Amino acid sequence: MQQLNKRMHNTLITIAGLAMLALSAFAFAGEKPSFAPSVPHPTNGTTECVQPEDEMKKNHMKYILHQRDETMHDGIRTKTYSLKECINCHVPKDSEARFGDDKHFCSSCHNFAGVSIDCFQCHMDRPMGSKPLGKNPHGAQVTPTVSTHGANNE
Amino acid sequence: MSNSDVNISRRSFVEKSATAAAALTIAPGVFLHTVAEAKPADQAVTSAVRWGMLIDTAKCASGCTACVSACNTENGIASHDRPRTDQQWIRKVTLRDKQTKHEVSLPMMCQHCETPPCVDVCPTGASFKREDGIVLVDRHICIGCRYCMMACPYKARSFAHETVDLTVDYQPRGKGTVESCTMCVHRVDEGGTPACVEACSEAEHGAMIFGDIKNPDSEISKQLVEHGGKQIRADLGLNTGVRYRGI
Repeated sequence: MQQLNKRMHNTLITIAGLAMLALSAFAFAGEKPSFAPSVPHPTNGTTECVQPEDEMKKNHMKYILHQRDETMHDGIRTKTYSLKECINCHVPKDSEARFGDDKHFCSSCHNFAGVSIDCFQCHMDRPMGSKPLGKNPHGAQVTPTVSTHGANNE
Repeated sequence: MSNSDVNISRRSFVEKSATAAAALTIAPGVFLHTVAEAKPADQAVTSAVRWGMLIDTAKCASGCTACVSACNTENGIASHDRPRTDQQWIRKVTLRDKQTKHEVSLPMMCQHCETPPCVDVCPTGASFKREDGIVLVDRHICIGCRYCMMACPYKARSFAHETVDLTVDYQPRGKGTVESCTMCVHRVDEGGTPACVEACSEAEHGAMIFGDIKNPDSEISKQLVEHGGKQIRADLGLNTGVRYRGI
């Protein structure tokens, strides 16, 4: 009985191994599985990112995080790894897609992978000059107005 | 506090040694002054400069709010028509002497202290001072506790109570964090001048001067030497980067 169990166990392992091999062969064939998200291409005509695509897929967050601290604390404002430039290149100016929509460059993948990020709670998710989309539900005036609050202190 | 004292003395020691070394290597009477303008984008800011402002209250026109509107436009600060909670990075203040009825008008914003109380109290390190003296909030690590707002003697900081409709990409701002005047750090890093200073000179008042107060050849340093520049609440010993004339 015990021997039979062991044999079954071995068979299961072999089947699992074969399945994994088949899957990896599928991945190495370079064909995109049908369930993969469709990621929009850059809009400015360039075909190459600042790093090879595989590297960016894996490590884009590290580049952005590193640049974030350098810019914030040291005033280093190189464009290569700046989030602003990601957006300028990957999100069309006339796009209505916001972060969260499947059509937005970042969320097309992040929605698929189920990884939530909070970059766009503060950063713009579209290039500057795009139409403001009115995120605030309380009807704020988008045109800045002069505030004289605090004046006339005696 | 003792920690920052140590840092200051260490920094001044390093500066003095650097100055001494420079004086040794260059011919007598010839000094190198670092030209702070337009630092290369890939270089970090250094404490060789300290950005500051000098505001001449005699030139600041009562009722003029050019600096305030320029700041709002530049940084995308929109009013929700709720003055008690609207964000405000710069405001006009009128001081009236009760006895003489003499009135002085001046812009009030983050004074970019050398020893900022907001940095002392910040529990996360979000409130910090850059090497070049600009005091900022790193909103990536700000938890919105607002201790800094209470610690600031100048009431210079605001809290973002509501979702921000961003209009500019160089100044990310968001709900739940504290914000204040950045001395237009995105402009300064590229060799520019803060929006308020520019607007003041465009309005032909020229009441605000911006520059490096560590460089004796800068316009602001010359003016400071000649006319002095008072700190508001000098009794607190904060050594503010923003100085005033005529108060």
